[in-house]
Amino acid sequence: MDRRLEQLKQEYSQVPIPEELDFVVREALNQTRRRKPVFRKYMAGVGAAAIVLVAGINMSPALAQPLSEVPVVGSIVKVLTFREYKIDNGTTQANIQVPAITNLENKTLEQTLNNKYLEESKKLYDDFIVEMNELKQKGGGHMGVDSGYVVKTDTDRILAVGRYVVNTVGSSSTTFKYDTIDKENQVLLTLPGLFRDDQYINLISETIKEQMREQMKADPQKIYWVEGTGNEMPESNFKAIAPDQSFYINKDGKLVIVFDKYEVAPGYMGVVEFTILTSALADVLVSNEYIK
Amino acid sequence: MGMKNNRAMLEQFIVDYKENIYRLAYSYVHNKADALDIVQESIYKAMKTKSSLQDPGAMKSWFYRIVVHTALDLLRKQKKVQPMEEEQLHAFMYQSEDAYADVDIQQTLEQLPEKYRAVLVLRFFEDLTFEEVADVLRENINTVKTRLYQALKLLRIQMESTAPERRRENGSTS
Repeated sequence: MDRRLEQLKQEYSQVPIPEELDFVVREALNQTRRRKPVFRKYMAGVGAAAIVLVAGINMSPALAQPLSEVPVVGSIVKVLTFREYKIDNGTTQANIQVPAITNLENKTLEQTLNNKYLEESKKLYDDFIVEMNELKQKGGGHMGVDSGYVVKTDTDRILAVGRYVVNTVGSSSTTFKYDTIDKENQVLLTLPGLFRDDQYINLISETIKEQMREQMKADPQKIYWVEGTGNEMPESNFKAIAPDQSFYINKDGKLVIVFDKYEVAPGYMGVVEFTILTSALADVLVSNEYIK
Repeated sequence: MGMKNNRAMLEQFIVDYKENIYRLAYSYVHNKADALDIVQESIYKAMKTKSSLQDPGAMKSWFYRIVVHTALDLLRKQKKVQPMEEEQLHAFMYQSEDAYADVDIQQTLEQLPEKYRAVLVLRFFEDLTFEEVADVLRENINTVKTRLYQALKLLRIQMESTAPERRRENGSTS
């Protein structure tokens, strides 16, 4: 081989490997390994309780009526920071805020949600401690976790709380989880519960694909993995939302579908949201109670 | 090949090749933070789409392809990718020997337009076969060979054994 090429090769192979690489790789593998089961476990518990309630309201206007005549309840339901975990020793930082919902009359729902918030935060904290100690043994390095919540919607009717986790190990990953609560009827809304049947999955997915393509056309800096845009890796294209895809209802009563970082777009796009036009959903909505 | 087996193999591959994956990413972005981001994102993507990998023997080129595309996505965002313009090519081809000698070699590799650098890195630095390089870049083998030859020409590297035969017909570089 030519001497110059040999030299180039050597320089290439001497690019220093950062100490964070091990952790980035392990963290990425861990996340793809545990993401689904954890999610499922929580949803199974919360979902089961919520589906019963949502079904009750959807199917029986008579049942919904008296409940919605208690207007005071909705306005006092609040979200506050229940607990904070903090670690800061320069290179490793954790900042975990645990939200709690208060003044829901439906105490079962309130407790289910708050327990979930606390458990998930506790697990995040414990995992972080384990990883921090491993990193120390390996000679140190930077890592951090930042978790908290945002109140996305707080109207007389709807309370939408989003909880995020940002993992920083060299680079970062972000996940967002939403809970949307009907304050009047005191129920947790689920995506399937808003619709008559499964058709919503396809309908929403196609609307989103259309929006992705339009956004990419309008702004060349935006990239989504979607068919019809020349993505050279068609296998990574977005195909359909999950039946229980992350969502919330915004203050205008519009359905917003949320994707985690990396779910449908390159990392730099971050967490992405799509607001779905209500007219596109008209045929499949159970009612216009929440989505207008 | 069961799904579980596939996952285990993929995880093993990622762990074994993590430094190569990092270097490949680095060759596109030239900074640690972005390179790590590409590594992480590539792993997510690979795990998500692993069912599309029909032939486990092609895992390396399949994964490298993900890395290359993730890197290009990022560069596109940062607008560092310049399309290969004629004048740029000219600048490379007709640099005088004297001017050339002053340029740091690594710098020159970085300055090499992406499509030429990619074949060089994959074929010589990552030791992929021509078939694998073609698979990574989704080009046919002849295109890859031509590009590699052009890359070497741009870098004014004389290859005695590896250069395609066409070299002579196209004339020498000096």
